[in-house]
Amino acid sequence: MRLEYHGFQERREIHLPKLQTYDETEDQYFGKIDTRGSLERLIRDMFSFRNDSRQVIITVFVTAVAGTLYPLSLGLAINSILSRNSAGLVFYGILFLLLYIVQFFSNRIRTISSTRVAQSTIKSLRDRALGNLQRVPLKFFGNVKTGYLISRITNDGEALSEFLTFQLPQVISGISTVVISISIMFYLDWRLTLYALIAIPALIGFTFAIQPRVRRNYLGTRRTIAAITGNLSENINAIRLIKSFGAEDRTAEQFSKLNGNNYRSNMKAQRLSSIYGSIIRVIEAAGITTVIIAGGVQLVSGLVTIGIMVAFVVYLQEFFDPVVQLSQTYTSYQSAMVGVGRIYAIIDTEGEKAEFRGSISAGFGKSIDIKDMSFSYGDENAIDSISMSIPKGSKIGVVGHTGAGKTTLSNIIMKFIDTTGGSVTIDGLDLRSIETSSYRKLIAPVLQEQFLFRGSIYDNVIFNRPDISRETVDRLSVSFGFDAIFAGMDHGLDTSIGEMGRNLSEGQRQAISIMRALVREPEILVMDEPTSQIDPESERVIMAALSKYLAGRTLILITHRFSMISLVDNIIVLDHGRKVEEGKFEELLKSGGTFAKLYGIQTEV
Amino acid sequence: MSSNLFKKILWVFDPLLFSFKYISRKKWALYAVIIAAIISTIARLYVPLLIGDSVSSIENLDLRGLEYFAILIIVVTAISAAFQFIVNYGSQFIGQTYSFNLRNNVFNHLVRKSFSFFEGQTTGDLLSRTTMDIEASRNFITSTLSQLIPTIFMIVFGLYFLLTINWVYAAVFILSVPLMVYIGMVFQRKQRLHWRSIRGYYGRMNEELQENIIGQRTIRGFSAEEWEISKFMSTTDSYYQEYVQVAKLRGLYNNLLPLVLGGAATVILIYGGYSSLISSASVGPLVAAINIFTLVSPSVSSIGRLIVFSENARAGIQRINDVISEEYVEKLDRGAGAPLSSDLEFENVSFSRGNRKILDSLSFSISGGEFVGITGKTATGKSTLVNLMLRFYDPDFGSIRIGGVDIRSLPLTVLRRMISIVPQEITLLSGTIRENIAYGSPGASMDEIRSAADIANISAFIETLHEGYDTLVGERGITLSGGQKQRIAVARAILGKPQVLILDDSTSSVDPETELEMFRMIKSSLRGMTVINVTHRHSAMKYADRVFKLDHGSITLLHDESGMQDASGVSRIPGEEGDPSA
Ligand SMILES: Nc1ncnc2c1ncn2[C@@H]1O[C@H](COP(=O)(O)OP(=O)(O)OP(=O)(O)O)[C@@H](O)[C@H]1O
Ligand SMILES: Nc1ncnc2c1ncn2[C@@H]1O[C@H](COP(=O)(O)OP(=O)(O)OP(=O)(O)O)[C@@H](O)[C@H]1O
Ligand SMILES: [Mg+2]
Ligand SMILES: [Mg+2]
Repeated sequence: MRLEYHGFQERREIHLPKLQTYDETEDQYFGKIDTRGSLERLIRDMFSFRNDSRQVIITVFVTAVAGTLYPLSLGLAINSILSRNSAGLVFYGILFLLLYIVQFFSNRIRTISSTRVAQSTIKSLRDRALGNLQRVPLKFFGNVKTGYLISRITNDGEALSEFLTFQLPQVISGISTVVISISIMFYLDWRLTLYALIAIPALIGFTFAIQPRVRRNYLGTRRTIAAITGNLSENINAIRLIKSFGAEDRTAEQFSKLNGNNYRSNMKAQRLSSIYGSIIRVIEAAGITTVIIAGGVQLVSGLVTIGIMVAFVVYLQEFFDPVVQLSQTYTSYQSAMVGVGRIYAIIDTEGEKAEFRGSISAGFGKSIDIKDMSFSYGDENAIDSISMSIPKGSKIGVVGHTGAGKTTLSNIIMKFIDTTGGSVTIDGLDLRSIETSSYRKLIAPVLQEQFLFRGSIYDNVIFNRPDISRETVDRLSVSFGFDAIFAGMDHGLDTSIGEMGRNLSEGQRQAISIMRALVREPEILVMDEPTSQIDPESERVIMAALSKYLAGRTLILITHRFSMISLVDNIIVLDHGRKVEEGKFEELLKSGGTFAKLYGIQTEV
Repeated sequence: MSSNLFKKILWVFDPLLFSFKYISRKKWALYAVIIAAIISTIARLYVPLLIGDSVSSIENLDLRGLEYFAILIIVVTAISAAFQFIVNYGSQFIGQTYSFNLRNNVFNHLVRKSFSFFEGQTTGDLLSRTTMDIEASRNFITSTLSQLIPTIFMIVFGLYFLLTINWVYAAVFILSVPLMVYIGMVFQRKQRLHWRSIRGYYGRMNEELQENIIGQRTIRGFSAEEWEISKFMSTTDSYYQEYVQVAKLRGLYNNLLPLVLGGAATVILIYGGYSSLISSASVGPLVAAINIFTLVSPSVSSIGRLIVFSENARAGIQRINDVISEEYVEKLDRGAGAPLSSDLEFENVSFSRGNRKILDSLSFSISGGEFVGITGKTATGKSTLVNLMLRFYDPDFGSIRIGGVDIRSLPLTVLRRMISIVPQEITLLSGTIRENIAYGSPGASMDEIRSAADIANISAFIETLHEGYDTLVGERGITLSGGQKQRIAVARAILGKPQVLILDDSTSSVDPETELEMFRMIKSSLRGMTVINVTHRHSAMKYADRVFKLDHGSITLLHDESGMQDASGVSRIPGEEGDPSA
């Protein structure tokens, strides 16, 4: 390959990741969204907040009754005017005002309790979604995209929050107003009511006819906004990569495409709902006209009073207002239902199988034994019938080529994944039958891909064990020489390390992850390439301290750094998922196999 | 005082002015919406008058008149509805066009921001700027057009129509409108702080979710599931509490509005009723007045809400402005053409973070085609040093030259094509292996991709996969082993045939044999390419022509090809990969 410099290469064909197909992948993992089922479930969830939902129902009823009585009192007031009855006018006028006052109080209570119901429901949905993410099999995370998943819980949750907090109360009071108005109208004059309601079937038919389309439109808007969030979070996390390769323009173009999709699906949804809103207005006017004409005719024949007719007109408006509002809320209803369906899909994702979660509390007295164990990620075996024993207190080293299956083996020992063949037992009990969290409490891992949380170095070391004191951390840090690694930090171990620890050097990040494991003083220490990014001098200090620390503990150490091998007393060599050698350091060196070769390369000067 | 108030009123429309930039070519839509709003409003307000007239005709038993007015009601409503459609759809059109253009612009700026910008931000926060903040301003624009403008016309025309009926009705109206607007504003003021916290908690929710998804193994490994759940629950709880606080305010203020309306309507009813009772005038006008009142009031009370929208929008725009300002934006294409050679020279380069000096007056040079190793203790600044070469950061003092040209005078696109880096923390994107390798050169042929994979010593592995180069790797390369990820990143870096290749500890998860093979291939296949290999491993220096050691901000030559030590007498690399029997 000759090296030439071409100056600016003209932009050639652009590969866009197949983002559309991701929706399909997602559908496959979550299953289709069932709006109707979601609605029923949502209602049940909301009613589980008993006190508040009871308050909502009562106040909605009171508000609706008060709200629907005032046109009546208006009508009666007008009748009093026409019959020159001033006492009646004052009486009905005051009644008119009183009804507003009643409404004021009941609405106030309703606003608060309905927000409580709505927000409690959303909180519980979000909490449950996150809770379930802790239970799904790990391989779930290999299939879904972080940004899309987050969007379900935040964006979609927000759409639901909008709807439940602001629109639903209106809908409920709207519907009850409609029902009560109709009953009063019937009571006042059933014939005129029939005329007034002549437009209703048209309204209902129209609404139902466009429903599927509206729903599809809103699913489109939710998906396209999720694609935007997903793309954004991926790109923000990959910003270094984008810059290194000058992919700014290409990335922006790709984003613009998703943005355009979102624009189009929004416009499509809006077009329909705007038309809907306008048509409803016309239907309303038709209803009013019918009342006026029919009322006029009946009035002439003395069947109706003017006051009643005025009340009817007001009722019709009162009646259509919520309907128009409903049509506006309908968009947000559809949007919310799609959203809640997407959250339920996370909640419903199947967790780890019960027989894998186990029920027996773990104890480690003798040994962990692996027998003819195999594991496969899909096609070939990543681990191919391995047998080994990890007696309590032993120190085992695992080495081998990259991709040999070392991390996979440690994942099985950590009970992150289930084997596909053979067995893993602890003190003779099948690992599957052991209750996972009790088992993991025996272990502290240093993962190959360490992860740091936002916060300080202390926060990350202590993590979920607030009982660990800072003194303990300080002591550990000094004895393992970590204090030297963090020597330059502005606020020592209190320095905040940025999102995912980005404001640290890689070696520092690894140091934190080692401290996090060591400070827990576990019975079993599983370390996967713990010092791969730490300089040899610091590593020597760590090892010296570690050899004392390890007394009485069990160690499983995966490493490419043979300087660490002095820590272990038994070495297992993996190759393509198989155990190819096992023995003590000197034995393996003498036998001249893979281990000897790798060791030779690294220590040759 | 009054000019102040006037300013405040104009302030409400500030976001609208901001939005003009993003709808420039669609201005006609704006005018259409405003005109349609006027027509539709007049038509809508005309309907109550017609209802009043028809009631009067009934009183007079004038059936013809009644018929006439009834038909007119339908016609006028239809006109109003048609124009209302233009208003609704048009304002959505403008709002969506605005958010589309703005979002593109934000993104364009975002990808061009320098690292220093991103170090001060969190993903969650940037996400909320590009979604929530844009949404907030769009919301304001859409509702201003579809509600505020019609409302203003509604008030004006409503007043006019009331005046034509009876001045007392108009006076009641004039008194109650400011009261309603005032209540709305007080309410908005009070709830603003709560909304700010709600947004804050929303951002935190985003962050915690991200940590929970990406850090899932760590969480499970430490049995921290319950811990994380309770952390998240406390965030959602704070979020909930804020919402309830807002509801308490809404419960009071929002419901005061209809009460004011009810009071005013009662006054009109009793006053109007009484006077027509005395004068035995028709009740038609009274009915019309009450009707106008009920029609106008909801829109009046929505003014308060629009004012909050405006405040939210302004806050959002401020945050968006941070992104779309030119600050921290890298100028990709500025500067002269490419230099002729790839000799690198560092002259007195210093770099500090806060008050910590990380690099202190470094001077050294690397000639084109050299294979150089850089070692040094953890956190001494090796990564910082190599990042300077790509201008991810600029030195505080001193200069870096490539082929004699200061890198600051090169277009960034040229510089970054000349120098390729495999960073210490590998980023793979969800997609196929092929897409990941070809990331920097999307037009690369399959042969080129394969040969890059060969050199990175990863092709053999890829070919064992069922789908070969088309195998999907999960997000962040979740389905690959540590060493496989690193080698794919190496293949990606060499595919573009850079003149300088920087490997920042890129073989830390690779076994010594594979590592050595990779370096051998790089050295033999990519002749003429300068390689800078940052590493802690002694064995990785085997192919290095020279090895530098970075220590406390200064750099020293450890040894060169001939095994010579540098003048300062620093010893050769001690037997760092210690003797296991020691
Ligand atoms: N989640 C996964 N899905 C599918 N395949 C996987 C997954 N994780 C790992 N593999 C594959 O399984 C094999 C073993 O991977 P593993 O991570 O155990 O290797 P390793 O020995 O730890 O390598 P390294 O030294 O590079 O870290 C590799 O070929 C890898 O591509
Ligand atoms: N974004 C950042 N914000 C603040 N400080 C930083 C940031 N990045 C690095 N540092 C600090 O600068 C110093 C040098 O970091 P750098 O990553 O260059 O070290 P390094 O020599 O590459 O270390 P390692 O061998 O661990 O990779 C470290 O002390 C680190 O904490
Ligand atoms: Mg591994
Ligand atoms: Mg580094």
